Amino acid sequence: MAQTRRDFLKKTAALSAASYVGMHLPADWTPLARAEAGEAWHRGTCRLCGVGCRVELGVKNGAPFGLRGVAEARTNYGYLCMKGMHFWKCMGHKDRLKKPLYRAKKTEPFKEIGWDKALDIAAEKFAVAVKTHGNNAVAYYGSGQALTEETYLFQKIMRGGLKTNNVEGNPRLCMASAVGGYLTSFGADEPIGGYADLEKAHCFFIIGSNTAEAHPVLFRRIMRRKLDNPEVKIVNADPRVSQTSRIADKHLQFKPGTDLSLLNAMARVIVDEKLYDQQFLNNYAVFKQGKEAKDASFEEYVQFLAPYTPEAAAATCGGGLTADDIRQAARWFATSKGTVSLWCMGINQRKQGVWANNLIHNLHILTGQLLKEGADSLSLTGQPNACGGVREAGGLCHILPGHRPVEKEKMRNQVEEAWGIPLGRIPAEPGLHTMDMFSAVNNGKLKAIWINCTSPAQSLPNCDLYNQGLAGDDCFVVCTDIFKTRTTEYANLILPTAFHFEKTGVYGCTERRSQLTRKAVKAPGEAKPEVWIAREWAKKLAVKLNDPVIAQCVKPFDGLEEDFALPQAIWDEYTQKLTKNRDSDLRGATYPVLGRMADGVQWPAPTEDFALKGGTVKKFVKGIDPMADSESKNDLPYQFYGPAHEDRKLWIWLRAQADPSEIPDAEYPFYLSTGRIIDHWHTMSMTGRVPELLRANPYAYVELNPKDAAKLGIKPGDMVEIKSRRGTNVLPAKVYEGPIEGMVFAYWHDQEQSRMINKVTKDDYDPASKEPEFKICAVQVKKVSGPQPLKPFLVGA
Amino acid sequence: MPIGGVVISTRIDDLEVARTQLALLSGVEIHGTDERGHIVAVFDTRTSEEMERLMQAVSACPLVLHVGLTYLNMEDVLAERETAGPSGGSGQGGAGE
Repeated sequence: MAQTRRDFLKKTAALSAASYVGMHLPADWTPLARAEAGEAWHRGTCRLCGVGCRVELGVKNGAPFGLRGVAEARTNYGYLCMKGMHFWKCMGHKDRLKKPLYRAKKTEPFKEIGWDKALDIAAEKFAVAVKTHGNNAVAYYGSGQALTEETYLFQKIMRGGLKTNNVEGNPRLCMASAVGGYLTSFGADEPIGGYADLEKAHCFFIIGSNTAEAHPVLFRRIMRRKLDNPEVKIVNADPRVSQTSRIADKHLQFKPGTDLSLLNAMARVIVDEKLYDQQFLNNYAVFKQGKEAKDASFEEYVQFLAPYTPEAAAATCGGGLTADDIRQAARWFATSKGTVSLWCMGINQRKQGVWANNLIHNLHILTGQLLKEGADSLSLTGQPNACGGVREAGGLCHILPGHRPVEKEKMRNQVEEAWGIPLGRIPAEPGLHTMDMFSAVNNGKLKAIWINCTSPAQSLPNCDLYNQGLAGDDCFVVCTDIFKTRTTEYANLILPTAFHFEKTGVYGCTERRSQLTRKAVKAPGEAKPEVWIAREWAKKLAVKLNDPVIAQCVKPFDGLEEDFALPQAIWDEYTQKLTKNRDSDLRGATYPVLGRMADGVQWPAPTEDFALKGGTVKKFVKGIDPMADSESKNDLPYQFYGPAHEDRKLWIWLRAQADPSEIPDAEYPFYLSTGRIIDHWHTMSMTGRVPELLRANPYAYVELNPKDAAKLGIKPGDMVEIKSRRGTNVLPAKVYEGPIEGMVFAYWHDQEQSRMINKVTKDDYDPASKEPEFKICAVQVKKVSGPQPLKPFLVGA
Repeated sequence: MPIGGVVISTRIDDLEVARTQLALLSGVEIHGTDERGHIVAVFDTRTSEEMERLMQAVSACPLVLHVGLTYLNMEDVLAERETAGPSGGSGQGGAGE
């Protein structure tokens, strides 16, 4: 019998794999046995990165036992990566937080308490902070991993209830520059196209992204496109040769921080060789310069580009590439039938992050490599709901739900009316952005902060500086999470939350696609969904502050059961009231519609009928995007309607090369950059608890170029000190033809104190996006010993 | 005793050699190939550690461009965990195990 079951499982595995590539296995392959009684597969979205892979979780007798991809989902066509295949092992893990934990002082041990007392304490501390120090003495710091319903409800309570815009989220650390780039170049946040362009593209320009390790399922699609069509060109531009470079026709290895020169030089080649699309420029584009976005002419743009000859740029970029390499890349980009650019943190986490985004968009606008099949300027996202929750539903200090800027009174009033609260309730000033928020913890201005589903004690740059404030008793810290982290070490109150598939809600991935995951497994112990926690906390806040408007914020949701009815009601309020007639219109993406769709809905999707067709594959294209039709002002095929550009044009920016805020010198002679590895995700609190993933990469190491290693006398495995002006790490060495000479590279996942690389990184940030420049700082590098035995480390394990 | 369904990608010119090499690996069952360089295989191992080592071995094969997981069943691991009690048991521990 056991053999029959095993044969069945193996045939199921083979058939599922074969179905994804359209392969027919022999006809006698009908499974020998049926699924066992009590076994069910529940559809949802992967918990980890921003690709939005659709999965089915196998559940038997109330416990998960397996995972499989959804073959008809256009996000992943059934494929999953190694870490995605294992995320569900966080369910039922022995380290899960199961009861609220409290301590009055951070030097005391935690004690288990009940939910009523826990929420009463949280409400009391926030209420006292508001009464004593004002509304801006409290803050919410959320996550691109929180469900949209969670982000929306927390920010509603903070803005409408507590009258503060101190609402932030960790996407400030990863996506804010992409937001700034899209808004200033296209007038609207988020990509015009999406993954559907990957199978139609003839040229890929991948810059500042190790797609192969950070987004492996999308990388497979790019690789497949290349293998099936050898004439497709792939350009990989990065200071580090990575797994992504394996499939590239050309790798442009540039010195960190010289990417603006490279991009302007490519634009110059396109202009010099008249590879731009004059008709597209005439119809849709204007040129802009300076902080005031003053108009510029094409001639001024040409003059601006004059210094960026390929020869000059090749020299600026450090000599690892030639002028002809730049010319070839520009020609492939401009002349292909469709070019897709992809980038990630290498572009966003820069002092000039918004500018770098602008210059990528420039290339697409110049060449008309937009709006047609196989062409897009596609920013990759790192978290599963940075777009859907934080960017769209009001999770940043300056943006209200539905892409509404806080500083516009009309926008605030629309939100206040939708919430049924007095006009003027939402403050006119944006709140504290992330770095200012944690600076305010340090300097005592913030007296209570709620940190949800993220670990800033490890993920902030120069983290030791900000952890000083978190460690003190001046600021009351609430953490909602599933495991202990470096941040819960600084908490007064830890509230255990339900994990993915233990609650219901929506994630919105990279390509404007919203997807529903329904509860399939009971959360362990007393863990609760955040929407229940937020609602019950707000009710207590209303009493303690004697403020009926706070109660009004959660009144529409009072009494609803938390597993489905509550998140559905929150989603309905957000989508029906606050995305109506906005560019992110999600009114058609109701729970019933999302429940029927294999892979969710791409906005804008104003009606259910339209949403049931999948929504808008390509924004701004008449006949495809219903808003392009309803907003149409002429007979041209494209209509831009983004809220940030009243002229309804695409903007080409004159942005000059500028150095990062710290470059190597005699004292700190090396560049340091950081990034991901395929087996781990973010601060490793989840992937570190999957033995298969932990064993694959149990601790961080530092990559050195062989030439640098030889100069420093460093051999593979030697322990190496990486020291910046802010902090020090000691890591084992990996000597590898990866980083450009003069640069070292480290992974940022490790929780062990001497290997937490954000002690070393720099907290200067882009003045426009406020996103820190994690990717570039100056360090000393020296060998401290030969190889040493190391142990992996996780807080709370 | 986990079971995984995978699609292994190779260049078409390398397909037959890669298939032959992979078939020699213990725990790999090859069920089909196609003209695009795909190899459909099942990984059947005794423990999750063996599955992990097998994945690494296949990924490290010079002719293999990509290993795409599509299915993973670990119900035996689940059963072991249930046997071990509510604390989690085998295969579910944290760091240092």
